[in-house]
Amino acid sequence: MGKILIVDDTLFMRTLVKNILFTGGHSIAGEAGDGEEAIAKYKELKPDLVTMDIVMPKMNGIEALKGIKAIDPAAKIIMCTAVGQEQMVKLAIKSGAKGYIVKPFQAPKVLEEVKNVLAS
Amino acid sequence: MTEVPVKIEFNKEWIVTKLAVSEDRLVIPAPINKEILFKSVLDVSEKKSILIITVKTDVEVVYKILSVEKVLQFLKVRILPLCNAYRLMAYFMSPAIRGGVMIKEASWEKGSVVVVKSGIWFVSAAKQISVPITEVAAIELTKRDVQGKPTEVIKIDYLESAEVVSSLVLCPISTLQVLYNFLKDTTKSMDMKGTELDGVDQQVAMLVYSGMDSHAIENMLTIPHKQLDQIYDKILSLGLAEVVVIRREIQLSPKGVRYITDATKSQTN
Repeated sequence: MGKILIVDDTLFMRTLVKNILFTGGHSIAGEAGDGEEAIAKYKELKPDLVTMDIVMPKMNGIEALKGIKAIDPAAKIIMCTAVGQEQMVKLAIKSGAKGYIVKPFQAPKVLEEVKNVLAS
Repeated sequence: MTEVPVKIEFNKEWIVTKLAVSEDRLVIPAPINKEILFKSVLDVSEKKSILIITVKTDVEVVYKILSVEKVLQFLKVRILPLCNAYRLMAYFMSPAIRGGVMIKEASWEKGSVVVVKSGIWFVSAAKQISVPITEVAAIELTKRDVQGKPTEVIKIDYLESAEVVSSLVLCPISTLQVLYNFLKDTTKSMDMKGTELDGVDQQVAMLVYSGMDSHAIENMLTIPHKQLDQIYDKILSLGLAEVVVIRREIQLSPKGVRYITDATKSQTN
């Protein structure tokens, strides 16, 4: 089980991911609503894993991913993408993302992906 | 002619027999005594280990064929390329996404997409995947990176054992557009305007999709159960969901109150 930082600009999606992770026995390190806040929270909280939305204000998920990777190359980050953003996923993987889930998602699959990435 | 062991449903009984399969037809021996030309097959579907074929001669006749996977695969490989259906050569990736998680080992396979009355088949030498039309949730033209280039593909979302699965189809753009239009037309009974549900209704629907139960949804959206019930009614009336469990609220009878009072006394004594 891991300590997870949830990054998404909508409260609804953050709450949804939080609920899914709770049911899987994970704990929530914190939440961030944009890329800049994600990097700051990562430095402060040192989570085991980050779930990162791609499209966000101020700084998008790809830039935040690169920022976190620059601080901690071993950071485990799962990208949350909407349908049609598959190109972004490829870019994220090249930039060091460990996994990706497509919105809307189903709880068991999210937990499976989190488990796989935490074990990697 | 190759003979394969099967059971065929006839007069509501399963008959053990050997089906003769040639290049263009099936021959069912006595007591059924039928020859089925592949081109007269209107529909092919599969449920567990039963292959269901609908044949049109003077009337439509449905044959149910039960056998082991290897035999059914052989029959599908023979029937699907020649049956009466919309068919085109294509690359497909099936499944590509399961429950919102991309399948890492998924790859493009060369084969064909066959659209019959009741469903869509992805057919290659190794795979024959059936997607019933009634299980199709969405069809869209989208872009995928294929050999480093963003390429237009068709994405078909469907339900498989209560899980949302997506498959992708890749073929030349002109053909892709024809297939897309055909699939959209085939599944148009599922189309909606997108304005039927308001913001909270949509959030509830998304939480149901994510696997949350009523209690979790009430807590997450901080809405009373009566409001949730009304939203459920709306979602149900639009045919977007089905009832799987009815939860009950109960109130103790005098007998129940007495029982629980006594139980409490015995615990405190």
